Amino acid sequence: MGFARGMDGDLGMTDLRKLRVGIVGCGKIADGHAEVVQHLEGAALVAVCDREPLLAEQLAVRYGVPGWYGDLGQMLERERLDVVHITTPPGVHLPLTQQCVAAGAHVFLEKPLALRLADCRDLIDAVVAGGRQMSINYWPNFDPPAMEFKEMLARGVVGEPVHVEAFIGYDLSGAYGQALMGDAGHWVHRLPGKLFQNMMDHIFNRIVPLFPDVEPEVHAFAFKRRDAVRGDGTDAMLDELRVVLKAGGVSAYGSLCSHARPVANTLKVYGTKNTVELDYNNRTVVTASAQKYPSAVGRLVPPFQMASRYLAQGKKNVGQFRRSEFHFFAGMSRLLELFYAGIRSGGAPPIPYAEILRVAGVMDRVIEQVYPASASEGGAA
Amino acid sequence: MKILVTGAGGFLGKLIVERLLAHGQTDIRCMLRDTSKAAGLQAIAARSPEARLEMVAVNLRNPAEIGPVLEGCGMVIHAAAALKGSPAEMFMDSVVASRNLLDAVAALHQESKTMRVVLVSSFGAMGVSALGRGAMVNENTPMETHPEWRDVYSYSKLRQEQLFWEYREKFKFELVVLRPGVIYGPGGGHFSNRVGLSLFGTFLHLGGSNLLPLTYVENCAEAIVVAALYPGADGQIYNVVDDDLVSSREYLGLYKKQVKPMRSVPVPYFALMWASRAVEGYSRRSKGQLPAIFTPYKTQAMWGGNKFSNAKLKTIGWRPVISTREGLARAFAAFRVEPEKAK
Repeated sequence: MGFARGMDGDLGMTDLRKLRVGIVGCGKIADGHAEVVQHLEGAALVAVCDREPLLAEQLAVRYGVPGWYGDLGQMLERERLDVVHITTPPGVHLPLTQQCVAAGAHVFLEKPLALRLADCRDLIDAVVAGGRQMSINYWPNFDPPAMEFKEMLARGVVGEPVHVEAFIGYDLSGAYGQALMGDAGHWVHRLPGKLFQNMMDHIFNRIVPLFPDVEPEVHAFAFKRRDAVRGDGTDAMLDELRVVLKAGGVSAYGSLCSHARPVANTLKVYGTKNTVELDYNNRTVVTASAQKYPSAVGRLVPPFQMASRYLAQGKKNVGQFRRSEFHFFAGMSRLLELFYAGIRSGGAPPIPYAEILRVAGVMDRVIEQVYPASASEGGAA
Repeated sequence: MKILVTGAGGFLGKLIVERLLAHGQTDIRCMLRDTSKAAGLQAIAARSPEARLEMVAVNLRNPAEIGPVLEGCGMVIHAAAALKGSPAEMFMDSVVASRNLLDAVAALHQESKTMRVVLVSSFGAMGVSALGRGAMVNENTPMETHPEWRDVYSYSKLRQEQLFWEYREKFKFELVVLRPGVIYGPGGGHFSNRVGLSLFGTFLHLGGSNLLPLTYVENCAEAIVVAALYPGADGQIYNVVDDDLVSSREYLGLYKKQVKPMRSVPVPYFALMWASRAVEGYSRRSKGQLPAIFTPYKTQAMWGGNKFSNAKLKTIGWRPVISTREGLARAFAAFRVEPEKAK
């Protein structure tokens, strides 16, 4: 069923009709968005668009989407969309957002939000000035264990964060990595921060919410661990990133690692009351055991405590699987439910804009330090 | 006549170049995406000093690179295609790349009016789901009605072939389409999905006693070259399978004997169909929590079991260069020392 706008052109709080959703940019990640949106109760994926019409066609045919376009202006004009998911390379996020907002659509963007902090600011300003809402696909932060961690934090289980370690692995021989390494002209190679810029949102969007609201110190270094044998544009890409940060009384390490196995995806928060480790891949969040009993006996107990905590996590995951809540993109589903609910109610978006900008600010600082030449020249993706 | 071969550095492409040379074609432009993978072609060139083999690096995703390498060519054999990757990438490298090539061909043909295009399509483009078990698959078998329900490879190959027919209709160049079955040989995959799949460390033998539509890579290349050079082949489709085909069970038995022993679990067709319905139903109910890797549609298409004909190909003079018995022996000898590639 189509959505009809109210007299003021906005969605009413009680309007339960489905939001009309479109996607612009029909590359790999668009599949994930289509997969999630088609199963959301309050939304209908009605159109997709790519400047390469054959790509738009294949996405539409595979997901049974009624409309496909080679021109965003046409899609916006004909489909009267409530929300547009922008899944193009980041270099065009700003103009596409401006176009969507001008057509009255809210926007949901893939990370990174734009090439530079300044563009991110302009993008959010355009959304706010147009009276629309935006969010960014920080989906791992909305996966079930991440939501559980936020609750633990709110309940005071962790206490005050003292130190944070965020680690993401990357597989250069995986499906995404091969696409990147097999094509020196791939848009990721043209980003000022190359591979890191495409991935490090997921490092800093875990750290920044745990920092006090002050400008953080950022010390980054990076290197290339693989051998440079290809003799093409891919050789310029560094593949190991380490960042040390400090804001107020909280410090953090952030790592992007392309060679360690298994390819991990974790967050460890050392708090004044407890230390908590969150494993995004294995969907577990556990507090570290403390030694409560003296001497050798005290050292015997914690492994069993940890085992029982992991067992409890496993049981919880089995329950989610049985209830069909254990999808790969469960976090994106949750994030979109919250975003769409905010659109319907006019409430706050699920990720504060200030937080998105702080992440973008840290990324700028990292790029300046690890790719100083491209940071000063600017990049085009 | 100068002949352009796309995907010339690939598993099939190298053999196409060899068979062209064997048929006396000595002016060949070999298109590759990455010339660092031209070692095989350079070895062929070294063995044929009388031939003129040019190596050109072109990314078919980039239309601007294509026009110049078509200059002076009277024929294009399009063997480049994506076999793996994300759906968008496979579509880019099979369909969008083909559209870019066709645009360049159309532009050149409008000037010279002498272009013949040869497309290496696939069995996957044919709609076998609707056929009964044991039905004959030949050039009159209609195209898939819902290739997107089957797999991305079939979908991309069908859409690619449609584009070629659309462009031929519009621009009137000569077009010959070949639809190979399962191409095998040294350097290729050890198992077609038609034989079975490894799932959680167990090899499920799904093909039972179905005939495999095998074509040894050299025989397939020979078929492509014979059809490409046959004057009356314009507008024709040729299915490519070898003689004396073996069944899935025979292939697996020979593999175990000649390559390595392995455990396999035979899954009868009725059980596979039952499981496919269950998997599809669960995937739908759980909103895609587990992907529908088996569906009744896919199962019918892949493991329904058909007969295959190469009669039309033989009418234009094709004969297998290597017998199936010899082809399997050569492939298995290579597989003994080649690790199996991940799919």
